[in-house]
Amino acid sequence: MKKHLTAIAVLLGSAGMALAEGELQLFNWGDYTNPELIKKFEDETGIKVTITDYDSNDAALAKIEAGGHGFDLVVPSANYVQIYVEKGLVQELDLSKLSNHGNIAPQWMESSYDPGRKFSVPWQWGSTGVAVNKTAYSGDINTSAIFMDPPEELVGKVNVTPEMNDVLSLAIMYEGGEPCTEDTEILKKVRDALLEAKPKWQSMDYGMTEKMAANDVMASVYWNGAIFRARLQNPDVVYGYPKEGYPLWMDQVMLLSDANNTEEAYKFLDFIMVPENAALISSFARYANGITGSEAFMPEDMKDAPEINVPAEFAAAGHFLPTCSPKAQEYYTAIWTELQK
Amino acid sequence: MASRTFTASRLPGFATVAIVVFIALYMPIAMLMIYSFNAGDSIAIWDGFSFQWYERAWENEKVKEVTIRSLVIAGSAATISTVAATMAALATTRKKPFRGQTGIYVAINQPLMVPEIVTAVALLIFFAAIKVATGYQGLGYLILAHSAFCIPFAYLPIRARLEGMDLTLETAAADLYATPWWTFRRVTLPLLAPGIVAGMMLAFVTSLDDVVITLFVKSAGQDTLPTYLLAQIRRQVTGEVNAISTVLLALTVILLTTFFLLTRKRS
Repeated sequence: MKKHLTAIAVLLGSAGMALAEGELQLFNWGDYTNPELIKKFEDETGIKVTITDYDSNDAALAKIEAGGHGFDLVVPSANYVQIYVEKGLVQELDLSKLSNHGNIAPQWMESSYDPGRKFSVPWQWGSTGVAVNKTAYSGDINTSAIFMDPPEELVGKVNVTPEMNDVLSLAIMYEGGEPCTEDTEILKKVRDALLEAKPKWQSMDYGMTEKMAANDVMASVYWNGAIFRARLQNPDVVYGYPKEGYPLWMDQVMLLSDANNTEEAYKFLDFIMVPENAALISSFARYANGITGSEAFMPEDMKDAPEINVPAEFAAAGHFLPTCSPKAQEYYTAIWTELQK
Repeated sequence: MASRTFTASRLPGFATVAIVVFIALYMPIAMLMIYSFNAGDSIAIWDGFSFQWYERAWENEKVKEVTIRSLVIAGSAATISTVAATMAALATTRKKPFRGQTGIYVAINQPLMVPEIVTAVALLIFFAAIKVATGYQGLGYLILAHSAFCIPFAYLPIRARLEGMDLTLETAAADLYATPWWTFRRVTLPLLAPGIVAGMMLAFVTSLDDVVITLFVKSAGQDTLPTYLLAQIRRQVTGEVNAISTVLLALTVILLTTFFLLTRKRS
């Protein structure tokens, strides 16, 4: 028994020592960090990186707010960036320590939620659009009408992802409003249109990479990277950018206020802004990264992929979703609840 | 003679309902297991038989790391909770009923009744304060938390076993001048052993499968197998997740089967 206790004590002790120098604690979404990227960083700097997974912005925020977590870097989505900043959970970056900061593409430098990128470094970004199997429908796919008013050929074959913010934003922009609007006229139109469209849908579900690839679903509201992977398996799948407006999302790395390994964290932030390394991030999770010059290092199949590189004509229709006011949130929830009945 | 007692199995449609329920319960799991042997990349299109996902999972360093961590936590938590549960079971069955005994039952079985998410949030806040104050962020917190919610799972089979045991043997040992310790060591404990092993296995499985509490309590670099799996399925489900789930399921089934064999009433 004494031997066991010693073994446990050693184990506990070693886990407790995990805060030694030359270490970095990255708190990131699951299945999102390229092991090759980490290996390259470790080889170059000698810093040992430990990755811990989370599966939602809320879970990550709750743990970080509670304190005592031991993480150095976190990767929140765009609409959570302001929350982290306002609560004082993250540090303003010392740009003099980030020699590659200029590599951030101009369009991402001037983001609405972090102007000048003083708090965050881009990780990956993508869009929510509509995917269509072109054997089922050959008309214009760059419109939210695919699910708001499905054409004859797609009736009963459309899936809508059960993501409230994405779906309602698409619907509001389709009806001519702004995401997070409190204008009840527009919201009523949105609700009526959605309720009218719903009987023409097949399902409200996830897992479309597989289902679109297998021809089980002929059209879906979905994310670009997932549809890109579906198209690699099934060339009939195409991705449309709704011209009425579509949501953009970006996840970015932020340095926590109570980080234990600040110097190592700066090295990592600078490292991922090197185009070649940014391309490694993209080659794993299959989304674009926001670093100028990374295109040259992207995997062949991603270089010209229309799902990853937004065609110029549709670029202006992409919008970051703001954090909705409590009132707008209430309207959203009310419409969403009614839609799910 | 026709039996007048009510038997559910004689209700009309009993077999049909039973079959439908079993299919609904086990079909998804069967599908998960079948696709863990898929040769293709998809989890929805069958491409032939292969062990590739098992090989990939086996070669995945992260999977190894989180599995070992899960086993260490489950092993420690099962040991601690079984010791505590055995003592609690002895104290609540081998003594005259005392005032407040019901209160003690409730306290011991509290983890079964309090919603897991409530415990998880409470532990998150409580442990975070300790983590900040002491600077210690090791596995101890997870082991402690798991030990606590595993106690009722270990306690119930041990107590059931104690209640079913014949007291006369212990009385006889005492009559023959065995000390209380000697009686416990030579009579009670050997008779109780199957209950203890069963309780320990149940505690082990419960700890191994836990997601909610682990998610809230884990510190940096402390993913367990279930929290790792949860984070994997968010973006893209691969056959690797199916393969790992199948292995986890097999392990759980083996342990639970052993549990039933041990607790089965001897004829």
